[in-house]
Amino acid sequence: MSDDPYAALGLKKSATAEDIKKAYRKIARTSHPDLNPDDPKAEAKFKAASHAYDLLKDPETRARFDRGEIDASGAEQQERRFYKEYAEAPGNPYRSGQRFEDFGEASDIFAEFMRQKGHRDRQESGQRFNVRGQDQRYALEIPFLEAVNGGTTRITLPNGSALQVKIPKGSNDGQTIRLRGKGEPGYGDGPPGDALITLSVRPHSLFRREGNDILVTLPVTLDEAILGAQVETPTIDGSVKLSIPKGASSGQILRLRGRGVKSIGTKSRGDQKVELRIVAPPEIDEALAEFMENWRKTNAYDPRKGMKI
Amino acid sequence: MIDLYSEEDAIATVARLTHTQLLSFVKARIVTPMQSESGPVYRQIDLVRMELLCELSEQFELDDDALGVVISLIDQLHGVRAELRAFVDAIASEPADVRERISEAVRATRSTG
Repeated sequence: MSDDPYAALGLKKSATAEDIKKAYRKIARTSHPDLNPDDPKAEAKFKAASHAYDLLKDPETRARFDRGEIDASGAEQQERRFYKEYAEAPGNPYRSGQRFEDFGEASDIFAEFMRQKGHRDRQESGQRFNVRGQDQRYALEIPFLEAVNGGTTRITLPNGSALQVKIPKGSNDGQTIRLRGKGEPGYGDGPPGDALITLSVRPHSLFRREGNDILVTLPVTLDEAILGAQVETPTIDGSVKLSIPKGASSGQILRLRGRGVKSIGTKSRGDQKVELRIVAPPEIDEALAEFMENWRKTNAYDPRKGMKI
Repeated sequence: MIDLYSEEDAIATVARLTHTQLLSFVKARIVTPMQSESGPVYRQIDLVRMELLCELSEQFELDDDALGVVISLIDQLHGVRAELRAFVDAIASEPADVRERISEAVRATRSTG
């Protein structure tokens, strides 16, 4: 970045406040990354110019800079994110052409104009416009098990009415449900918009989800791990008996086939993966300690063999 | 969990944004928050959008109507770019002769207007 803010704006030190504003606006017009998304050099140029403008727009700060009391690096800008990084993403709710599909042949800018003005101007002009109602977006937090197993819930709208929402089995965090015709009423004879409900799934204390698989960490006792056992493990549809093999270790993962999530469009369910975690007894009694002492003498083993650096 | 910001969070995150401005953006429908049981909530894209809107309104002294026209054009630009990129990606995975025919057709349209 240039140390000379005047140069960044293409100006001399004698420039007036009006010159500075004009020069900055010109650069913003030609180089703002959101207005010129195809120009790879735009961002650097715009950042330099807006940095310079921040310093020079206030006559007092400018005077201090001119007297050498502060330098150009003074007002360092924070990391700036531009709208264009988000605007082209598929879920962008502001993408035009998506909301006006029922508006017929008219251009989107016309529909956009109607959407903002039609409401007010309709009566004055005496004309009738038929515009599809606006989509209304909702954020809905649901419990983990409701997302996994599906269910029905209600959202209370700001106007006090309620909307029934069916949560499909296997819904994902961030997924959007569309309820046709449940948005705002249309203008004139236009149909109502849709309600778009974005789900936010609350984490569960036991279950985690990885695609269509469910992950659970299952604590087992020392004796269960050594001798093997049948233990109960929670699954998303209740408790299930799980065989712990003889000589199981912490971190070992057992798979319960078909106990995972069934999401829309998939034929079979995912699996539940159970990660074992050996928990030592709360108290080590003398008999156990003594047994281990003796056992170690003849059966010592080194699980860290492969870890030598 | 997806990141959502309350009104206060949004104002705290977008440095230039004032409460009055936020309300005027929402009223003019150039920003549309999501509704939730706890009131309106804003997504990351809303915050970055408001950053741009503040910049445009401040530096070009645009009122809400003019701002609505400008942001609508920007949205259309981005929408068209995304569509175009989808086409270009689809064409790129076609065989060489198809790509060649398409680029010839594009060149011909360009030169004859």
